[in-house]
Amino acid sequence: MSVKVQPDIDFIKEMKEAGGDTLKKCFQCATCSVVCPLSSDQKPFPRQQMIFAQWGLKDRLLGDPNVLLCHQCGDCTAYCPRGARPGDVMGAIRAYAYRHYGWPSFLANLASKSQNLPILFGIPAAIICIMWLIAGGSHNIPNAKDFVDFGYSHFFGHWDFKFLTRNVLFIDLIMIPTASLSVFAVFKGVTGLWKKMTENAGIGAALYRPSPLQFVKEFLWPSVQEIVRHDRFKKCEANKDRVAGHQPLMWAFIGLFFVTGYSFISQDFIGILLPSLHGPMSMLNPVKIIANIAAIAMIYGVGVLWSNRSEMEESGQATSTFYDWFLIWMIMGVGVTGMGSELMRLIGIPSLGYVVYYLHLVSVMMLFLYMPYTKFAHLVYRTLAMTFERYRESAYVKNPLMG
Amino acid sequence: MSNAAKTGAVLVVGGGISGLTAALEAAEVGKDVFLIERNPYFGGRVAQLNQYFPKLCPPSCGLEINFKRIKNNRRIRTYTMTTVKSVSGGPGNYEVTLETAPRYINSNCTACGDCAQACTDEIDNAFNFGMDKRKAIYLPHEMAFPRRYVLAKEACSAQCLEAVKAACKYNAIDTEMQAETVTLHVGSIVWATGWNPYDSSKLTNLKPESSSAIITNMMMERMAADNGPTGGKIVRPGDNKEIESIAFVQCAGSRDENHLEYCSYICCMATFKQMTYVRERYPNAKIYVFYIDLRTPGKYEHFREKLRTDANAQFIKGKVADIVAESDGSVTVIAENAVTGEKIRQKVDMCVLATGMQPALGEQGKALGLKMDGNGFVVSEPEKGMIAAGCARSAADVYTCAQSGTAAALKAIQTA
Repeated sequence: MSVKVQPDIDFIKEMKEAGGDTLKKCFQCATCSVVCPLSSDQKPFPRQQMIFAQWGLKDRLLGDPNVLLCHQCGDCTAYCPRGARPGDVMGAIRAYAYRHYGWPSFLANLASKSQNLPILFGIPAAIICIMWLIAGGSHNIPNAKDFVDFGYSHFFGHWDFKFLTRNVLFIDLIMIPTASLSVFAVFKGVTGLWKKMTENAGIGAALYRPSPLQFVKEFLWPSVQEIVRHDRFKKCEANKDRVAGHQPLMWAFIGLFFVTGYSFISQDFIGILLPSLHGPMSMLNPVKIIANIAAIAMIYGVGVLWSNRSEMEESGQATSTFYDWFLIWMIMGVGVTGMGSELMRLIGIPSLGYVVYYLHLVSVMMLFLYMPYTKFAHLVYRTLAMTFERYRESAYVKNPLMG
Repeated sequence: MSNAAKTGAVLVVGGGISGLTAALEAAEVGKDVFLIERNPYFGGRVAQLNQYFPKLCPPSCGLEINFKRIKNNRRIRTYTMTTVKSVSGGPGNYEVTLETAPRYINSNCTACGDCAQACTDEIDNAFNFGMDKRKAIYLPHEMAFPRRYVLAKEACSAQCLEAVKAACKYNAIDTEMQAETVTLHVGSIVWATGWNPYDSSKLTNLKPESSSAIITNMMMERMAADNGPTGGKIVRPGDNKEIESIAFVQCAGSRDENHLEYCSYICCMATFKQMTYVRERYPNAKIYVFYIDLRTPGKYEHFREKLRTDANAQFIKGKVADIVAESDGSVTVIAENAVTGEKIRQKVDMCVLATGMQPALGEQGKALGLKMDGNGFVVSEPEKGMIAAGCARSAADVYTCAQSGTAAALKAIQTA
């Protein structure tokens, strides 16, 4: 089979900037593919991805599920005889892919560079600040007694309209468009990636296509189960400690997703019928208990990942990149400001509490807004790649009679 | 040479093919030469080979004539079991302290072998990389030069020592022998300290200790040699199974910054050569060679082309990065075939790790004031009269080592 090679020099340069600067050292011995605990016998990685990246074969890599199936255990990097650091290169390719599939592209580009950090922080900071000023600004800072009663539920002020509180309205005005943009960007990215993966795998028009239900049941759901169990993570040798951080963090997100969903429904819908649901929850409310446990799990989990990554970088097992750190910082920001504002409320310091709560809203908005373009995107893209891997091997694609 | 400050003598450290050559070349143009060797015999690694490429000569071919030249040359003084302890002074007049370990056998020895017959204790045979045992009093190998026994005194019981002494008709055994220190004055020093096979136990992913079916290429040399542990049979250590399939694992520790950063130069040719050993004994055995690149420089390409036509040999581009010991005594080697892009799991009766050359001098060189490169090879400083030869200088094959020995002699006589 002849391959027309169209190298993309800019791609190679970008790889080098994004932590893949060791890429060109690879001499294709394929040690990495064998020591990789996650690579399969039929489609091993990352040896092939290394040569594609060296040659600038961007299109091959953008539609390659293996790039996303890599969990950066670091076994390849540990055994690499040339110091080519395949684990870091794979990470750099993923960062490039998230950007490539990111929509709108200016936001994707913005979220990929550390020098944009002031803007990345500034956008949500400005939006929330402006909304707060519109809502009445410093008039809304309560006295100590009101702070005990209302907590942050009067952050954006208060009115007597009982069906929807003023606070919820403002939060909705900020977060619903943000989340919608994010969801739409993910949708664009996911469909783009799926198309590219099927194209590259040479999967033409299928004779039989799975129904959405079959698709979820046979491909997506088993992948989700595998992710929850952390099966692949646990196979890592060189860097096995990450599971201890990633797993609590994942459960924290599942917990907080549930809590956020509950709050949204209770405040925006059920609250219309039962206005008593408005205002801070009792600490003994089961949902609040879940929220607190999840918050602790979040800080603990991301803390483990933080120290783990620092150690890896110190010992030379990983390269320090903005791509990796930005997500850790954002999550740590959400966790610490969340717990911090709760503590301020319990201690009863309204002014400082309001500042911390403001930062909490900013960090949550950052997480929502940049999710599709930063490392956080692995949440959807890696899940999709795992789903595709199952689909690729299924009878929908491979004619079982033809072998 | 009219400079009175110069001693006119050359010290050659290491009595392998490079050191022998350097010593002879310097002596044959009229210099006094001291030739020292750490082992109890001369000949170095070449003496351990079955054959050396490209002509596939036995080692006796090259070594015997050199030994004869040394015996006939009164300008060369030889010391075995001797190492350098310190070097002081400067070019033209170095003061070198040597230490000779006790051999416990004096020059009365005729190598009759009566002592070994009487000896009751055994030790691992280091000459055969521990693949068999030998008596604690032994001739290092069949064509050892000097032809004199060695006693491993610390391995012997008092009874055994009495027995060997009683057996010797020539009063050649002296168990009270002590280490001796000698001081020399020489004008220049040739460092021909050679190499050790890279320690395969460091290749943790290949788990060489997990199965006796995993051997090194130097063990293969000993096995194929008539005077080796199996008398020239290539069989699986442990159960002596005849070989139906064999895998060669190239770059086992070489070209790897976690082990030896450099290419050891000889391992590809060694593997091609060892393919001929296998083929002579097993015309139908399957041979698998796993490689990153097949490096057969210069004329060696012809040798490669010849072996590449072997219908029962497969060459797979991809480094073996995992070996699994099987319950039937065989092993499965695992690599990614970089041409097809699929992993290959090949079960074989035996697996040969083509381990590379590690400079034997190592850290000691720095302590002696030598200039070393980052990999432990000696960098020549001819103006100082410090010259590296053979594998102390860089990984090399036998004929390059001989050339390098001659070149070193030419430089050494100018400072001496």
